[in-house]
Amino acid sequence: MIDWISIPLVGLPLVSSLVLLAFVANADGSTRERLGSTIRMVSLVISLAMLALTTMMFFAQSQSLMYEALGLDKALDWTGLGFGSFNFEFRYMWIEALGIHWSVGVDALSFPMVWLTTFLLPVTIVATWNEKYAATYFPLILMMGGALIGVFVALDLFMFYVFWELTLIPMFFLILKWGGKDRKYASQKFFIYTFTASVVMLLGLVTLYFLQPDQALSYSGSWTGRTFDIPTLTAHAQQGNADGAWFLGESMQKILFVMLMLGFLVKLPSVPFHTWLPDAHVQAPTGGSMLLAGVMLKMGAYGMFRLPLAFFPHAAEHFQFWLLALGMISLVWGAIVCLGQTNLKKMVAYSSVSHMGVILIGIATMQPLGWAAALFMMFAHGIISPMLFAVCGAFKHHYHSMEIGAMRGMAQHSPWLATSMMFAWMASLGLPLLAGFVAELMMFLALWHFLAANDWSVLWMVGPALVLALTAAYYLWSMQRTIFEGGKETQPPATLHGEPVPDIADSEKFAMIIMAVFTILFGVMPWIALDMMNGWTVGFFETLLIPILGGA
Amino acid sequence: METMQAFDDGFATALAPEIVLVIGMFTLMIAPNLGDAKFRIPLTQIRIPWFFGGKRGALESDPRMPGLFASVFFVLAFLLAALSYVNGMNVTMIQSEGGHDLLLVNEFSRIFELIFYGALALASIASINRIPATSRNDRSALGLYNNRRQVDFYILLMTTGLGMSIVALAQDLFLLFIGLELASFSTYVLVSFMKETKEGTEAGMKYFIVGSVASGVGLYGLSLLYLWSGSLQFTELTIAFAENGMEPLPLIALGMLLVGFGFKVSAAPFHFAAPDAYAGATSPVAGVLATASKAMGVIGLLRILLVVASPEATDGAAVWLVALAVLSVVTMTWGNLAALGSTNPKRMLAYSSVAHAGYMLAAITAIGALNWEPEHLNVSNDAALAVVTALIFHLVVLVCFKLGAFLVLSILESEKGGHTLASLGGLAKREPFLAATMFIFMMSLAGVPPLSGFVSKLLVIMGIVKVALVDVTVSGNLTFSDVHWVWYLALLMVINSAISVFYYLRVGLVMFFHEPEAGREGPLPQGKSVRLAIFACLLTTLYFGVGAGQLIALCESAANALVGAW
Repeated sequence: MIDWISIPLVGLPLVSSLVLLAFVANADGSTRERLGSTIRMVSLVISLAMLALTTMMFFAQSQSLMYEALGLDKALDWTGLGFGSFNFEFRYMWIEALGIHWSVGVDALSFPMVWLTTFLLPVTIVATWNEKYAATYFPLILMMGGALIGVFVALDLFMFYVFWELTLIPMFFLILKWGGKDRKYASQKFFIYTFTASVVMLLGLVTLYFLQPDQALSYSGSWTGRTFDIPTLTAHAQQGNADGAWFLGESMQKILFVMLMLGFLVKLPSVPFHTWLPDAHVQAPTGGSMLLAGVMLKMGAYGMFRLPLAFFPHAAEHFQFWLLALGMISLVWGAIVCLGQTNLKKMVAYSSVSHMGVILIGIATMQPLGWAAALFMMFAHGIISPMLFAVCGAFKHHYHSMEIGAMRGMAQHSPWLATSMMFAWMASLGLPLLAGFVAELMMFLALWHFLAANDWSVLWMVGPALVLALTAAYYLWSMQRTIFEGGKETQPPATLHGEPVPDIADSEKFAMIIMAVFTILFGVMPWIALDMMNGWTVGFFETLLIPILGGA
Repeated sequence: METMQAFDDGFATALAPEIVLVIGMFTLMIAPNLGDAKFRIPLTQIRIPWFFGGKRGALESDPRMPGLFASVFFVLAFLLAALSYVNGMNVTMIQSEGGHDLLLVNEFSRIFELIFYGALALASIASINRIPATSRNDRSALGLYNNRRQVDFYILLMTTGLGMSIVALAQDLFLLFIGLELASFSTYVLVSFMKETKEGTEAGMKYFIVGSVASGVGLYGLSLLYLWSGSLQFTELTIAFAENGMEPLPLIALGMLLVGFGFKVSAAPFHFAAPDAYAGATSPVAGVLATASKAMGVIGLLRILLVVASPEATDGAAVWLVALAVLSVVTMTWGNLAALGSTNPKRMLAYSSVAHAGYMLAAITAIGALNWEPEHLNVSNDAALAVVTALIFHLVVLVCFKLGAFLVLSILESEKGGHTLASLGGLAKREPFLAATMFIFMMSLAGVPPLSGFVSKLLVIMGIVKVALVDVTVSGNLTFSDVHWVWYLALLMVINSAISVFYYLRVGLVMFFHEPEAGREGPLPQGKSVRLAIFACLLTTLYFGVGAGQLIALCESAANALVGAW
């Protein structure tokens, strides 16, 4: 097997972005302008090559042409891969003394996220084709992509943490340089919130590291005698948790679970740690928002599946109520706050909080169906929310305002934007046959099943039911005020200063169509992604959770 | 181990870096005074060339000459110290005629020599061209004056280096103190070297008064120790402590020594002079204070607390432990909170240096927790080794990014900026590479991966956690309360480092977000040498972050050499 991950998917975007940035570092303004379009083209080509590679990886499960091109003897089996085994697993020594490896691999948990990242990179680049300061903007987008993929493919805690923090830097600059009026405040808040949570997580990880037996596990450091290797740690934790015993003891497991979850809940974000998100989104440029909502938030959920849920299932069961409650509060609170927003982008940002609540509820049900729902939600939201933000970006770009109602009768003035907005809004509120619907439906079923099986009160269903109505309300209301009301008799917004009302550019149209096509594709044929997610979840439950926690 | 007396065979090889510095000092003293003077033999017309005095040649009167010479000597000393790693460490003890241990050359002292000479070499390279110099054709008094004044500056840098390396080598408390004072007095003068500015004089004055009081208290403690044990040899003090270290006299003496070294590492409450001193000194000097001078203080703390007072001194020695823990928490929190409010980037860096001192004290507390508490008597000191390694690693990489940050400020200082955050405004527009470099230094200070600052912070946290878990047996009925209380020091440390992100990010914000101040829109002052030094800092900051393995191994061998005495 050839290491298709380290160099083409992680190294290439990171190194090429640094090279491109170094290239323009000391160039003066006019030179940069000239180089801008070349750099944009180079970035697009690199991101398309990455997309081609991950798409080949997907088709390598059936097409001999694809797996032979990847240098494989037989087809990859994403669905049957299950839990605990990885495709393209590679391990290189990094810091021997501490047992740190450059260790990569993808399984059915991380592969959809990796594909999603490579899908969003070219889409983002195309959607924000005319962004200013192109010479530095597009390399930062590439760097962001490389760091995100690094998080998803890392199988070593140190490497995971390095990439986890590395994602902050390009995003900080994207918000700071291309953001809105309060970008200074927003970028700092974003950085400090997530950094604070992740250093607490780091302390938890280090404590976990030293709670392993000395020299007993594979890939141990020559000096510390402990390992950072995630599969090894998972297997070790699995043994410790067997037969009803608590790995590391009850109180220690609970505290470590909380410390790790803190880092992930802030990133997700869940109420009450969500306040950085609306600020960051409203101020971030369109491309930044697309990647932030599309992939970066999913890092939180991904981290939960990869680390605390796998290491500390007893603690997860213990805190089940709190997870469910947090998810429910995020879901409901996000939706209620959406109703009160007058800023289009802020509304979309809070709807993200609401949707992340769905993921948390899915996790909290501790049901295979709920987990599959969470995984599919991560994926579907990763396609839909960038479209929402692309619409917001186009709105802002063309009407110089984000206020709902600043532009009325959009269907009349700019039909392309109106259509895209309508489609994205419908997808986000969960219209059947679109990707979001599948995830929400699965979550409902899982929650019903969970409540019935454990004799929990049916009142828990009130929240999601209420949110269905609320989501429809705020989306339809904002659509009505923006797209339909007014029409011929209304004037274009005052912020345009009497210029003719524009419609979105061709590159934006193209990006919207692509995202819409994939939203429909995964809505009509969800099994493309759902099969492998299901395979991973069932594997997780069969090999790890059921033997430890019992039940079905 | 090889034992020898001064000026025996092999003495010159063992102390080669120091000897190079001494030669360098004399060279610097002599070189600028050479001229074409001739001495006429009385009653004849024969003139014998007598080079001292007369009209100076082009080289001797070149204002850049002292800086270049000093840099060459520092780099040479650095390379000689590094060379001993290449050929395998030749551990050498230099004794007095009476058989007392004086200087010990081993992995520990060598790595500190590398820290000192590295920092001083960078500072000296960065200082070439800093003191306003006139052209070499200028034969006026000013040209002469500049050249001579620069000589003074570099000679002081060299005596600082000599003093510091004596501290690293010393095996005798008195010798250590002499080295400390040699370095301190040189730095007092260096701080106030810009005597034309009010800040420089004021800073030097404050630094001198506070510093000399701290030294005086330390010296008093030293004399009490001598009164008590009759010797200041580390080996003999260790034995004396093991026997009856719980008497009040040595404990008071230790406390007084802590004051002396606490000032050097700028630990609260002895840190008050540091922000003023850093702000008033020129940036390269401030950088030396924050890195090399601090490393020197840490050596003192390690020697006193670990080598002398630590092993076998069990029951009740934990008095110092709690005091040290409280001191570390106060230091890191105070440093961070004060840094939040400072608008002068040099003061901000000074307070961040205080915060880092707090982290280091927390690490030292952890070692103490392992060695001083009776229940840990039979535990192997792997964990203490990890902490000392982390400390040394931290001090090494500090030279890369903290000194680097000061050097970036020093470029701004050349255009009379650097004292306000606003003067950093628009640096990204004026010189993007420099702004990106400064941002990397700031992120490294904050401990963001994959930079070396992150690895050093990770190692310190790992060391503390390892100590905290040292008497925890991993089993199903482990409870969280089994974890030793030093774990909470690690928690406070991560929370503090989260606070610190705020003020490090602010520098980035100003550089990338704000417009340049009026009058600062143009390109930055030239200076190839200072940019070279910054570039070296940048490369090492990145390299020790991504490829930390080798440096960890070096630091581990150094820690072994120190802790091996236990």
